[in-house]
Amino acid sequence: MNNRKLLYSLSGYLFVLPYLTLFGIFLVLPLFYGLGLSFFRWELASLVPPKFVGLHNYSEALTSPYFLKALWATFRFVVMAVPLTVGSALVVAVWINTVPLKRQYYYRAAYFLPVMISISVAGLLWRWFYNSEFGLFNAYLSLIGLKVPWITDVRLAMKSIVLMTIWWTMGGAMVILLAGLQQIPDHYYEAASIDGANARQRFFYITLPLLRPVLLFVIVMNIIGSFQVFGQTWMITRGGPELSTRVLVQYIYETAFTHYRMGYASAMSWLLFLVIMIFSIIQFRILREKQ
Amino acid sequence: MMKVRWKCGYLCVIFAALFIVVSGCGAGDSQKVKLRYWNGFTGPDGRTMRRLVNQFNRENPDIFVLMQRMDWSTYYNKLFVAGIGKRAPEVFIIQVYMLERFMRANFIRSIDDLLAKQTEITAEDFPPYLWSRVEKNGKHYGIPLDIHMWGMYYNKKLFREAGIVDEHGEPVPPKNRKEFLDAVRKLTRDLNGDGKPDEWGFVFTWFESNIYTFMLQWGGKFFTPDYSRCIMNCKENVEALQFCVDLIRKYKVAPPPENFDAWLGFRQGKIGLVFDGIYMLQDLRRQEDLDFGGAPLPKLGKYPAAWGSSHIMCLKAGLKGKRLQSAWRFIRFLSEHSLDWAEGGQIPARKKFRETERFRKMTVQWEFAKQIPYIKLLPRTPFISEFLTEFDLAVEKALRGSATPKEALDIATEKVNKVIARYRAMYKEALGGTGE
Repeated sequence: MNNRKLLYSLSGYLFVLPYLTLFGIFLVLPLFYGLGLSFFRWELASLVPPKFVGLHNYSEALTSPYFLKALWATFRFVVMAVPLTVGSALVVAVWINTVPLKRQYYYRAAYFLPVMISISVAGLLWRWFYNSEFGLFNAYLSLIGLKVPWITDVRLAMKSIVLMTIWWTMGGAMVILLAGLQQIPDHYYEAASIDGANARQRFFYITLPLLRPVLLFVIVMNIIGSFQVFGQTWMITRGGPELSTRVLVQYIYETAFTHYRMGYASAMSWLLFLVIMIFSIIQFRILREKQ
Repeated sequence: MMKVRWKCGYLCVIFAALFIVVSGCGAGDSQKVKLRYWNGFTGPDGRTMRRLVNQFNRENPDIFVLMQRMDWSTYYNKLFVAGIGKRAPEVFIIQVYMLERFMRANFIRSIDDLLAKQTEITAEDFPPYLWSRVEKNGKHYGIPLDIHMWGMYYNKKLFREAGIVDEHGEPVPPKNRKEFLDAVRKLTRDLNGDGKPDEWGFVFTWFESNIYTFMLQWGGKFFTPDYSRCIMNCKENVEALQFCVDLIRKYKVAPPPENFDAWLGFRQGKIGLVFDGIYMLQDLRRQEDLDFGGAPLPKLGKYPAAWGSSHIMCLKAGLKGKRLQSAWRFIRFLSEHSLDWAEGGQIPARKKFRETERFRKMTVQWEFAKQIPYIKLLPRTPFISEFLTEFDLAVEKALRGSATPKEALDIATEKVNKVIARYRAMYKEALGGTGE
């Protein structure tokens, strides 16, 4: 019996093993390699051997206007993208939940479709949509005499990126929220209706509280993902105009692979990691307290 | 149970098929030398290059060249990482301005021993300013395949409509500042009377090469001769950039740079003339309703000048024996077929091919190639990407009007000087000496 149990648990580990190996080699190992690197000056393109410089890379980052500007751009993106994405996902999920089951499949698929498009394709498409001279959006807007500099105006560019992000990622959040909604037993709503609760009250006193764990999961994942934003800005604006949409990941990427400063780029990656971790911890705290 | 067995059956068939395919490939190619060849020709030029590679493979049954193309911006990352991991391709292309970095990193094999054993390719065949760029410490590190430079494309139909024609009714491209300003003013037209132009005389397509060209024409410098200091905020550069800004704000002959695909505007026949690279030629040719011509850039400043670059064919460091000979044969093949390559919108680097009747018939290339005596390559420094990043940002700020040309260039200069200081300190510490 004991043997059997051992075998059983062993087989579990065996199943995880392939993934764990890859995870270890391609994620955990580079992670700590990067941490080590961040204390070195290592310029790939030079013949100069790596040299230990302590915290120099970190202090350079924290005093660099480019780093701070990229961090600020990232924050702006997160602050706009997360509430809007999750909010619209919630609205759509609640709405889809009310239509008959058969039609639900179509709607769900329709909203989920953009999620399956790769970012390079989606980015290219939206770059065309946003084109101020020949783009789709301005073609329609020109009918009412408008011409919007979607991605060429310093103030507007990031908002346009956010808009595209909502379209692109909202479906993913929506599907999870919808699944959460469908787990809420119907009789709660029936009971509330009998008690005379209107739709608004039913939403705020039944749906929202019962959806909280799912909602918080979606928010946390969204924030983590948003801090790592790169594909959209890279494809649509390349960080422009005037670096207004150059987010942290892009700056790290450029530092590492255009300027070949591996140590400095690693240090910035770890700073980004710290920021994400702090936010995640805060959220998990909230999650735990409410439960 | 039946189902499971069936699935196994499928799997067996698939594996068997794979085995046959894999072993089949192996058997046939065992005596062939396989060469990997990387480049960044992802545009229409890639099709031309593919044809050349196929031709080489047909004509040389003992060699198989496998070409891989990547977007230039990601290309160098891959090449660098491959080079560090000792897995670089045998043959690869490097744009001349990136060469310094790769030469410094010892990724490229010098070719002087190979050059000595043949007579076709000679130093005299290349413009001196280009040949000197593949040289470092007396050794040569590659063969220039082409020279691609900026020139002027103009819309013949719009020129005729604006009356910029000679006595035969043929459009006349401008040759100096006066003619240029005159032409672009005439070409900027408000067609529907809303007070805003619908057709523009000029547009800035790719800021970097555009403004660089303007600055060169004004006689601007970017570094002190020993590269110890960046001087891109010199008087000439500020004036040149101011002229560019004036084209937008004062003369109002170019649209404000709110537009990403200014190039498309020219393709669609809404812009009178643009400056762009010879490599855009195929793109224009595909636009069937566009009647365009090519000409050397007008002399807008004090000197004739045009941004130019070159694709350098390089060999992997440490290559020897049969692989080396095969790779070298491939490079020579490409060089000998410079004219086929030129068809797709390039200028052969070798004078020998530029003087042929066949090249004369490539009208646009022929016009652009007139600028060869005075084209200017980007500065030769290992920190070229840092320089370009700052340069681009400064130019963008100025053209968009969020800083004056002087302010923008001052900031950029200061930033680049910091980079230089860092480089110098690093090299000085590691290698001793002056840090050069």
